[in-house]
Amino acid sequence: MNPNEFDVIIIGGGITGAGTQRDCAMRGLRTLLVERSDIATGATGRNHGLLHSGARYAVNDAESARECIKENMILRRIAAHCIDETDGLFITLPEDDLGYQQTFVEACQAAGINAEIIDPELAKRLEPSVNPELIGAVKVPDGSVDPFRLCAANMLDAKLHGGQVRLYTEVTGIIREGDTVKGIHTRSRQTGEEADYYAPVIVNACGVWGQSIAEMAGVKVSMYPAKGALLIFAHRVNNVVINRCRKPSNADILVPGDTVCIIGTTSTRIPIEECYNVAVTPDEVTLLITEGAKLAPSLSSTRILRAYAGVRPLVSADNDPTGRNISRGIVCLDHEERDGLKGFVTITGGKLMTYRLMAEMATDVVCRKLGVDKPCETATTPLPGSEERSYEAVAQKIWEAPSTAQKAAASRMGTSASRIRGNNPYDDALICECEEVSVGEINSAIDRLEVSTLTDLRRRTRIGMGTCQGEFCACRAASLLAKAHGCVEKEREDLAHFLNERWKGNFPIGWGDTLREAEYTQWVYKHVLGL
Amino acid sequence: MKFDTVIIGGGLAGLVAGISLQREGRGTAIVSTGQNALHFFSGTFESLTEAPQRMTDLFGEAGIRLHYRPGVRLMPMGTFRESALSLEDVDLFPSPEFARKVLIVNFMGYHDFFSSFLAEGLEKQGMQCRIRLINLPEMDKLEQSPSEMRSVQIARTMDRIWEKVVQEVRVLLKDEDAVLLPQVFGLQDTAVPGRIRQGIPARVVFAGTLPPSVPGIRTQMLLKRRYEVLGGTYLMGDEALNAHVHEGVVHSIVTKNLDNHYLEADHFILASGGFFSKGLRSNPFNITEPVFGLDVEYNQDRNAWYDKAFSADQPYMQYGVKTDETLHGLSDGKPFKNLYAIGSILGGTRPELGSGAGLAVRSAFAAADVILSEAKNLE
Repeated sequence: MNPNEFDVIIIGGGITGAGTQRDCAMRGLRTLLVERSDIATGATGRNHGLLHSGARYAVNDAESARECIKENMILRRIAAHCIDETDGLFITLPEDDLGYQQTFVEACQAAGINAEIIDPELAKRLEPSVNPELIGAVKVPDGSVDPFRLCAANMLDAKLHGGQVRLYTEVTGIIREGDTVKGIHTRSRQTGEEADYYAPVIVNACGVWGQSIAEMAGVKVSMYPAKGALLIFAHRVNNVVINRCRKPSNADILVPGDTVCIIGTTSTRIPIEECYNVAVTPDEVTLLITEGAKLAPSLSSTRILRAYAGVRPLVSADNDPTGRNISRGIVCLDHEERDGLKGFVTITGGKLMTYRLMAEMATDVVCRKLGVDKPCETATTPLPGSEERSYEAVAQKIWEAPSTAQKAAASRMGTSASRIRGNNPYDDALICECEEVSVGEINSAIDRLEVSTLTDLRRRTRIGMGTCQGEFCACRAASLLAKAHGCVEKEREDLAHFLNERWKGNFPIGWGDTLREAEYTQWVYKHVLGL
Repeated sequence: MKFDTVIIGGGLAGLVAGISLQREGRGTAIVSTGQNALHFFSGTFESLTEAPQRMTDLFGEAGIRLHYRPGVRLMPMGTFRESALSLEDVDLFPSPEFARKVLIVNFMGYHDFFSSFLAEGLEKQGMQCRIRLINLPEMDKLEQSPSEMRSVQIARTMDRIWEKVVQEVRVLLKDEDAVLLPQVFGLQDTAVPGRIRQGIPARVVFAGTLPPSVPGIRTQMLLKRRYEVLGGTYLMGDEALNAHVHEGVVHSIVTKNLDNHYLEADHFILASGGFFSKGLRSNPFNITEPVFGLDVEYNQDRNAWYDKAFSADQPYMQYGVKTDETLHGLSDGKPFKNLYAIGSILGGTRPELGSGAGLAVRSAFAAADVILSEAKNLE
């Protein structure tokens, strides 16, 4: 068997691609995933990290709402270590119409979402940071999800089922014979090496970039990219997700995640060429702060850590040349049926929340084409690390008396945390103090999760995501990476690149304590360390 | 409480100004929040191309020997940088190739010393390197706590057990003509770095670690001790809040701890540092100096505060308070008669004074001189 031949090739290392690879691999297919950058670098890693209950869509899009609540319950089971079961509130402020609350709750209940009207006083006790002027509150089963962890766990499970992954590998062309797709041309963005891979089915799971992959294959998929800007605050101000109980609008969701919280988002249509480099504008920052403070007033005096933006992969419905009929739902295109192109499938649209369902839909099409008759098991089989639901129980099993750092590791790694326990006592030394990431956890990520750069390491362990934004942990972790890869010179460049990438999210909000920290970091690296 | 001069800020600039005035018999007080840039001092005085005698004297009297030898110093990540004046245990070499073969020694479990980066940097200069880790039972207690293996904690232990390090290094040493050790020696006992050098039969070079800087904290402690021996009042952990001002003259300041008392003085020196030390304050719209409301030099357009490249010179770092030629702080363009701004609160607005530690020392001497000469004129 030619090592470059597979049953299915998946293009795109976001959550949709990683989920599809896992599903295909679990159904016994030989899979290859190629990604031009790192995992979760597109929309997957650039959103709220909200585990939607579906309530937000209940009034206007019942189908999305039903999908969300179903997947919400599934993810709690299969991805426990990626999820924080916080619950959520939909609050009504004096300027909002309290009448909407009833419509909202009825729509939620119709979609199967357990939405419960509670006394505003109770809401204040459940979430002390909430705007005390609220006049109404509804409790829903929202939560938060770490998309990087979720993506890495899917990729890891695909690998455990024999899947292969090529990161930093760009697709330069689609190999076609007549009306049939045969394979892909690729080039490594790290070594420049070119390679061709072959498979009878290719899945295009590239989000907004799926448009150009489809073009390479000779078919048309029209994306309508919509930019969303978000701000990360330096503290976990709230423990419960806070939403506004009104028609979905700008900056009306505040999500707690690990040590921080995130306010978002905006929605602006942008040209597809701008998708690689989206930046947050000063106006968006002002809007996010102003609206955010209405959900939790203390945000106006909380230090902002970063500003960032992502691009939603919205799809224009077929036979709608105006682009007015834009779908937020899942779009799964079998191009053989649609365009007469055999062996090519596009899976796009949808949401982080529904990635597993999207993967199941795409894998069903792949299996049908390959004549494989094996049912999907991703809704019931836990991801690696999620075999136990409570991270505290996990920590207790591994360490007799776990420290807070060990509990933090268990909350990030789930049962995989057993891998970092003590080959030697030095594994407990902390590299990142803000997020309490140890030497052992970093080495475990380097061993198992395909880490090339510090930024890759950040997505898998949260180093550099906390209050100091990589001030001290970056150079400590760089030493570990240099050792693992045996190349200091490359690591020097990598460190410079990492710091530049952190700065990119800092300067748009560079005032107050953020500027203080930045001055310190820049002084340390330039004048003290001499990078 | 009434003083000749009240100094706001207890870092390098504030201490040098305070010592200079105390030496001439002026009664001064320093208000210090407790954190300052000496905690990440690299140990060299950049932008000072020669050592003024008065500086060598002032530091010498405080027990700090300065080393004047223009050349290059080894940076913690293995690069070299030009400098002329440094603390005694920070080496300056005539050229980067300071040895033939170098033994780099680190402590097991210590991640704030960058042995592999240092080795790569030295190998680029043609030196051969060997990295070895040592493990001392006396450090077990530090190693057991995941966040205790930091420079200052290690340095406290090293003041007691440095001789063991010498023994370990002597065992490890083969044919190397230089040994590189992390700069975690001589925090309290300033003789330790010299004794280590005597005990090891090769050239011993101390290379910097991640902050806090051990030589920086030692410098801070010795200067503060000298200032207090001279009779200065160092108000640790206090913060200047605002000032009583009348017709361009500062009469007193209000601090956090002395809530019912004012600190009165004939002269005031503002040495409260840049953004990090809270000498300058910023919000989305402007940059201010919080105690006296001095005029600040900065661009009104916030987008112009930054360069998008992390490693580029950042415009915001150049911002600072405005002064006249003799360092009198300005308010609405008019100078205060008895208020002087020194150190990094000046930003890059007075380039003739240099930057960093050089700026701190030069401007401190300059302000002290003005105060002393003004007082003389009055007499």
